[in-house]
Amino acid sequence: MKAFALHKRCFLILMSAFFIISCSRLPVIKPVDTAMAPDTMRRCHLPFLDIPYRFIHAIEVALPGSRTGTVVGVTAFDPATKTIQSVIMTIEGFVLFDASYEKEVRVNRAVPPFNAEHFAGYMMDDVRLIFLTPDGRLSDTGVFEDGSTVCRYYVKQNWVIDVIVHKDNTWEIERYSDSHELLRKVMTFSVRDRIPGMVELNAFGFREYTLRLNLINAEPVSPEALRLRPDDAPEDDE
Amino acid sequence: MRFMTTKGRAKRGVLLVGILFCCAVMLGWADNWEDIQRKSSNIKSVSAHFSQEKHMHILTKALISKGHFYFLAPDSVRWEYTSPVKSVLLMRKGDIKRYTLGRRGFVEDSGGSLESMQIVLQEISKWSRGQFTGNEHFSATLKGGQVPKIILTPKEKGLSAMISRIVITLSPDRRGVISFVKIIENKGNYTLFEFTDVQINGKISETIFREVE
Repeated sequence: MKAFALHKRCFLILMSAFFIISCSRLPVIKPVDTAMAPDTMRRCHLPFLDIPYRFIHAIEVALPGSRTGTVVGVTAFDPATKTIQSVIMTIEGFVLFDASYEKEVRVNRAVPPFNAEHFAGYMMDDVRLIFLTPDGRLSDTGVFEDGSTVCRYYVKQNWVIDVIVHKDNTWEIERYSDSHELLRKVMTFSVRDRIPGMVELNAFGFREYTLRLNLINAEPVSPEALRLRPDDAPEDDE
Repeated sequence: MRFMTTKGRAKRGVLLVGILFCCAVMLGWADNWEDIQRKSSNIKSVSAHFSQEKHMHILTKALISKGHFYFLAPDSVRWEYTSPVKSVLLMRKGDIKRYTLGRRGFVEDSGGSLESMQIVLQEISKWSRGQFTGNEHFSATLKGGQVPKIILTPKEKGLSAMISRIVITLSPDRRGVISFVKIIENKGNYTLFEFTDVQINGKISETIFREVE
């Protein structure tokens, strides 16, 4: 009887937790005057550069259990075509992962465990979240309580992406699941000319991790440069 | 996002090459393996500045890193990057640690594989004695001439997935000094190290192999 009561209590706790999670609510957006809508849209576009760019970052990785490490990340993208090239290498220059995205992910090189089945897809999702305008339906625009501008998009799998631009022109990007559970949160710091000196990405849920992208270099690139593949490189001479 | 488990594997390749630097400095002393092995026993310490150029398809111009390299016989190594990322790799008496400068100062990387480090240490002791031939990880070819070169090719499939070959170019006018180390990973993807201000058997404090700063 006692065991039954215990099970019943656990069941109620689980059900309550499930209820709370399933009822997670998105942050409330206060609508703005219609006349302000174009300005709101313009500010929401601030995080996303209009021309092809290449970023080089020192990436601090923090995983559960106080595990940490640093790698160098090179990311090049073309906002017009939504093309992305991404390389992760050690500080010493050894390439661990090299992939591109153009409608689908193509992995050029992946040292285990970077060759894990879903790694490339997850990584490209994170890169897209940071650098490219959400590829989905704009559902709401407005402001939060603190006066930050916000644009809300519904993207694939009914995920929700909030692009939040603060008054100081730093920004946050949040991605929620279809049940409105926060999955990713991107924060930017030390922004100059729309280029953040530091980007922090926090992943929540089943796979928790934090990436801190410290800017080494950012520069525009030609769209042609983004079409180069490793196979196009000249032969090495010794 | 299992970066940490990869770093052990990556570190293995990285460290193998790092160790190579100190040993390669010895190579200009001789034109054949026997001479190298015989004369390398005289090396007690090496220090040098290095610049690292990373070339690959995604970079229209090379990514340049700079730093210092120190070796103290028999097995102490300090491989220090000063830019663009401050990082220090310390190897001493079988213990290998790597620190990177972050928001909270130098923080030890916690993803290294102890097994990989053990392998590296074995390599140190072999190469410090000039034992390039018969190495279980690399096949070595010595190319003489005005600018002598040594080409190392990985024997293991795991290592060759990271490194296609390593080419060491010796200084033509300064015996005992190397000019470049080129690590070729695959087509169009290589790292070129240039060594300058190379000091052999200079005085190096042992503390730099224990303390990051």
